[in-house]
Amino acid sequence: MSKKIAVIPELCSGCRICELTCAIHHFTVNNPKKSAVRVIITYPHPVVRMPIICSQCKIPACAEACPVGALKKVDSIVELDKDLCISCMKCVEACPFGAIFAHSDVQHPIKCDMCGGDPLCVKNCPKGAIQLIPEQALGESKRINNVLSYAHMKEIEYMEKGEKKVIRYAEIGKEEL
Amino acid sequence: MSIKSGYFKKILSVDLSSNACIFKNLPDDFLEEYIGGRGFGAKLVWDKLVECDFSIDPFGEENIVVIAPGPLTGTFLPSSGKCSFITISPSTGGYGDSSSGGSFGVELRQTGVDAVSITGKAEQLSILFIDDDEASVIPMPHLAGKSCLETEGIIKSHLKTHELAIAAIGAAGENKVKFACINNDWSRNAGRTGIGAVLGSKNLKAVVVRGSRDLPVYDIKGLMAEADKAYTYMRNHKYFEMWQREGLMNVMEYANTVGILPTYNFKDANFTKIKNINGETMVEKYKIGDSACFGCSMCCGNVCLIKQGKYIGTVTEGPEYESCAMLGSNLGVDNFEAVLSANRLCDELGLDTISTGNLIGAVIEGYEKGVLTLDDLDGSPITWGDEEAILALIRKIAYREGIGGILADGSLRLIETWPEMDKIVLQVKGLEQSAYDSRAGVSMALAYATSDIGAHHTRAWTIAKEIEQGKDWTPEEKVDLVIYHQTLRPLFDMLGVCRLPWIELGLNEKHYEKFYSYVTGKEAKLEELLQKSDAIYTITRLINTKLGMSRKDDTLPYKVYACPIQTGATAGKVVDREEFEKLLDVYYEKRGWDNDGIPKEMV
Repeated sequence: MSKKIAVIPELCSGCRICELTCAIHHFTVNNPKKSAVRVIITYPHPVVRMPIICSQCKIPACAEACPVGALKKVDSIVELDKDLCISCMKCVEACPFGAIFAHSDVQHPIKCDMCGGDPLCVKNCPKGAIQLIPEQALGESKRINNVLSYAHMKEIEYMEKGEKKVIRYAEIGKEEL
Repeated sequence: MSIKSGYFKKILSVDLSSNACIFKNLPDDFLEEYIGGRGFGAKLVWDKLVECDFSIDPFGEENIVVIAPGPLTGTFLPSSGKCSFITISPSTGGYGDSSSGGSFGVELRQTGVDAVSITGKAEQLSILFIDDDEASVIPMPHLAGKSCLETEGIIKSHLKTHELAIAAIGAAGENKVKFACINNDWSRNAGRTGIGAVLGSKNLKAVVVRGSRDLPVYDIKGLMAEADKAYTYMRNHKYFEMWQREGLMNVMEYANTVGILPTYNFKDANFTKIKNINGETMVEKYKIGDSACFGCSMCCGNVCLIKQGKYIGTVTEGPEYESCAMLGSNLGVDNFEAVLSANRLCDELGLDTISTGNLIGAVIEGYEKGVLTLDDLDGSPITWGDEEAILALIRKIAYREGIGGILADGSLRLIETWPEMDKIVLQVKGLEQSAYDSRAGVSMALAYATSDIGAHHTRAWTIAKEIEQGKDWTPEEKVDLVIYHQTLRPLFDMLGVCRLPWIELGLNEKHYEKFYSYVTGKEAKLEELLQKSDAIYTITRLINTKLGMSRKDDTLPYKVYACPIQTGATAGKVVDREEFEKLLDVYYEKRGWDNDGIPKEMV
């Protein structure tokens, strides 16, 4: 089963533990700038904390931009063949998400390899903001959130066995369109 | 065995008057002896004082600001995002420091320095930009009057990059408000002792850092294994999820229940409308996200948004406990939206929320009691919970308008102007008291009185333990705990890490000797590190002694002796002066200082 890394920005606290574990695992150095993930924070307008990480695209723009064919889709991962790579960093610029990284000390572009199937960023995120899920589950949280925040829902509060409860319902046929 | 790693062994020395940025080497024995953070700062401030024959005007060109993360800052271990700022404080005239989280200290270290020292005064408003091994002072007069948040945005567009870290001052710092803070990563503040005002006096609007280097770690595998143990311990702690959910705001209910919550300028220790401004209300109605410092899994920061009403659209990082207590219950404000707005305003203007809330509380009480007249208040009355008047007064402080000009000089100027205010405002050495009522426990009073920066809980926070122990706690035990706190807590500031995993989740402090050893390659026991921290406490005491402080300054606010707490679990409590003085005797004796509080090193 093909698994994908899913990012849930709403859960991210901006702690950057993902960056550090990635760098230590791949380069054995304590340097968050040498990682294949980077947390970008904007504040106060808009308030977003978002880890940027490779989506392992099925039609990878990075691979298309690579002049020597060093980036290839192998199984479900876009792999970098370091023997072929000429370190031109065209892939870094070509990625629409900026999810491939460059560093002056590192010869090759820094690209997510999914840690061989068990990504450390997923394992170490204290907030569950980076998850590994089956491909068909992508977008699941967005779908349920969308349903829960369905604009025409009404809300009533009531007590049940001394506990405050809320029920939500739609007034069929009465919504203004 | 000596230091093998953990440092770049370099300090950037900036003289704004001559526009000189010089990288200097730091010798091994300096690194070993002073460790980092506040340790470096205390030593460098001491050296500066010696050079100036112990006469430094906090706002003079000669004053020094040291910015120092520690050897553990930015390394893989819990909550490693701390950075210290150290100076001669305009609030107290003595030693001052404050620390801040976020990512600024990490980015600063990645430029390849262990610390930055800043002296002199720039000709016009400028920024200091450290871009890996290049450092320059760039005039940016158009930043004048810009808020801390705006400043970050303007600098980022000017430098055409988003990926760097900025520590900036707001209007309060530029106007030399004596409790102006330094704001980094948008809303992390080195809040206390007025270091922002010192930067303002130097015409330095911001320090901007962008680094790419590996942080030196001697044994990264060892560090990871030890850090994993610590992270796992924290994750499994019964309060871990509560910390992620409410962060420091959970302290509101605790402080209210046990009777230490500042309410109506420390008249009460319990706020009847606590439910409106507690952690639960924040989570239910306002919280839209978490905010963590570098490497921190607890993420005690909260991002809040006001979604309706007159403050609609206000976003704020925080409030944390101190801000919510000092700008909320202490001012009788039960509208959480007003607390959020005041917090945001302080972040923008670059004002310390503790001193601001404390001083405004004193003004309200002073006016209520007739010590201050309507004229004194420039014709604008102010009463408990009057949010509009409170927000207006915050602005007046930052811009030094009317009575704001007096408040901007802190509690000592307030007392000098209206001597009766001495019975109303709570301060020690000129630093306004933070949000734990020390009448609930004499050990906390001792902590405030003997803190090297004035009435702040950062050095020792013994109140919870004292409440737990009740009467079974002997004076010796109280003093011992205060001294232990004053030794261990500053050690965290020297190492460049946060103390919350230890104090709040009980992470064993023994981990830190291992962290230190893995990072520096120098085996050290916790006891040795504590000895080094203790030596720094002696240095900061010596600084204050040389600047004229002694037992007469290790004192308590009038209210703490004279006005019993009115309501709450601690109602009726007051500190007995004789008991306190006896405790102080024991404290001096255990410290090895003479009866006037003078360290023997002075002789």
